[in-house]
Amino acid sequence: MTVLELLNFSIQDVLWSGIAALGFAILFNVPRRLLAGCFLSGAIGHTLRTMLMNAGASVEFSTLIGAVAVGFVSVNLSNRYSVPASIFTVTGAIPLVPGVFAYQTIVVLLSATSAPGDQSVELLAAAGINGVRTALVLSAIAFGITAPTLIFRRSHPSV
Amino acid sequence: MRPFVQTPVQADKPPMDYETLRDVIDLSLWAGQLLLQHGAESQQVEETVHQLGTGLGCNWLDIFVSPNALVVTAISNGEFRTKVRRVINIGVNLQVVVEVDALVQRVLVGKLDRFELRTELERVCRFEPGYGRWTVALMVGAACAAFSRLFGGDWVIFGITFLAATIAMLLRQELHKRHLNTFLTVVITAFTASAIASSSALLHLGGQPQLALTAAVLLLVPGVPLINSIQDLLKGYMITGIARGVTGGVIAACIALGLLLAISLLKVNVL
Repeated sequence: MTVLELLNFSIQDVLWSGIAALGFAILFNVPRRLLAGCFLSGAIGHTLRTMLMNAGASVEFSTLIGAVAVGFVSVNLSNRYSVPASIFTVTGAIPLVPGVFAYQTIVVLLSATSAPGDQSVELLAAAGINGVRTALVLSAIAFGITAPTLIFRRSHPSV
Repeated sequence: MRPFVQTPVQADKPPMDYETLRDVIDLSLWAGQLLLQHGAESQQVEETVHQLGTGLGCNWLDIFVSPNALVVTAISNGEFRTKVRRVINIGVNLQVVVEVDALVQRVLVGKLDRFELRTELERVCRFEPGYGRWTVALMVGAACAAFSRLFGGDWVIFGITFLAATIAMLLRQELHKRHLNTFLTVVITAFTASAIASSSALLHLGGQPQLALTAAVLLLVPGVPLINSIQDLLKGYMITGIARGVTGGVIAACIALGLLLAISLLKVNVL
């Protein structure tokens, strides 16, 4: 891949993942002044994941790193705008959602029930693998975006 | 990261009279209820109630956050009073979360007394819509279409996904307005989105028809319940964490049901 191709690819990734985060921010009724932050946090997390996956890392690991990036960017943005960090983590995590794996899991599971005997076992295994992958990616997202809070906010609780 | 506000037990606070203590408990619970209903995590709910109560004059508050009720005991100068508030899960509205958080900050620096806080909470409760319904529908359509590009779809798939998700979102808004059961709304919306997205496979439009189906139902993804669930579980709020996780799981199952209904009724080849 040439540098130009890589640049084009990254710009597309930034754009589409940002729009995905932005659309969901509007669905969740995030105030207008925070929309740019939502775009940014969504774009950074997903673009980082894509880059790591291009470099050969597994989707689960890449998602974890992408989600950690979303977590830290959100903490930064939350200081800047003085709003709860959850506004940016929730919208920033949306582009990382493992839609294709989840879809494959249920569709393959359905086709396994109607397939002839010898194929159904294979399909069931494929559905199982996709299901595990979906679960792993989801937990990577959740742990990743919570990471900054878990690591740095260890003070004695006030309540 | 914003400093974690520590509120030590202050015995030197002036004792509150009956009316004031009642008002303060009422206001703190109201703010907590607003947060819990509109998608805040449990820790934020507990801290908000505690900080409002102590900021307005109580010595201490003990708060129990459960998925559908808030219980608080407020202590002022040895006297204590307990109140339960029922919480109904309405949906995600992050504007409410931002506004209530701003009010807490103002109370903590002493720039807002309980009378002003009541006026402000009444304003927040009017839920002035930030965006028109068409803006929301078109932007959600664009978000799902953007997903189809991220998954590697071509421009035809992009267009079909946009159309399917926008129409499904408009339908979802209508059903929501008519107060149809949340889970039934999800099934019907997922069915509609996938039925429209199936046109890609049925009419042989675009290269990867399964991507249109995948991306079009993503507008229903229970992102907030699932993320809040994990955050609650990791921070020790087991009951709310489990309840929210189950809610997210049921919504995901409803999406799957709507999708499977559509592809089996229309006999789409989806693999």
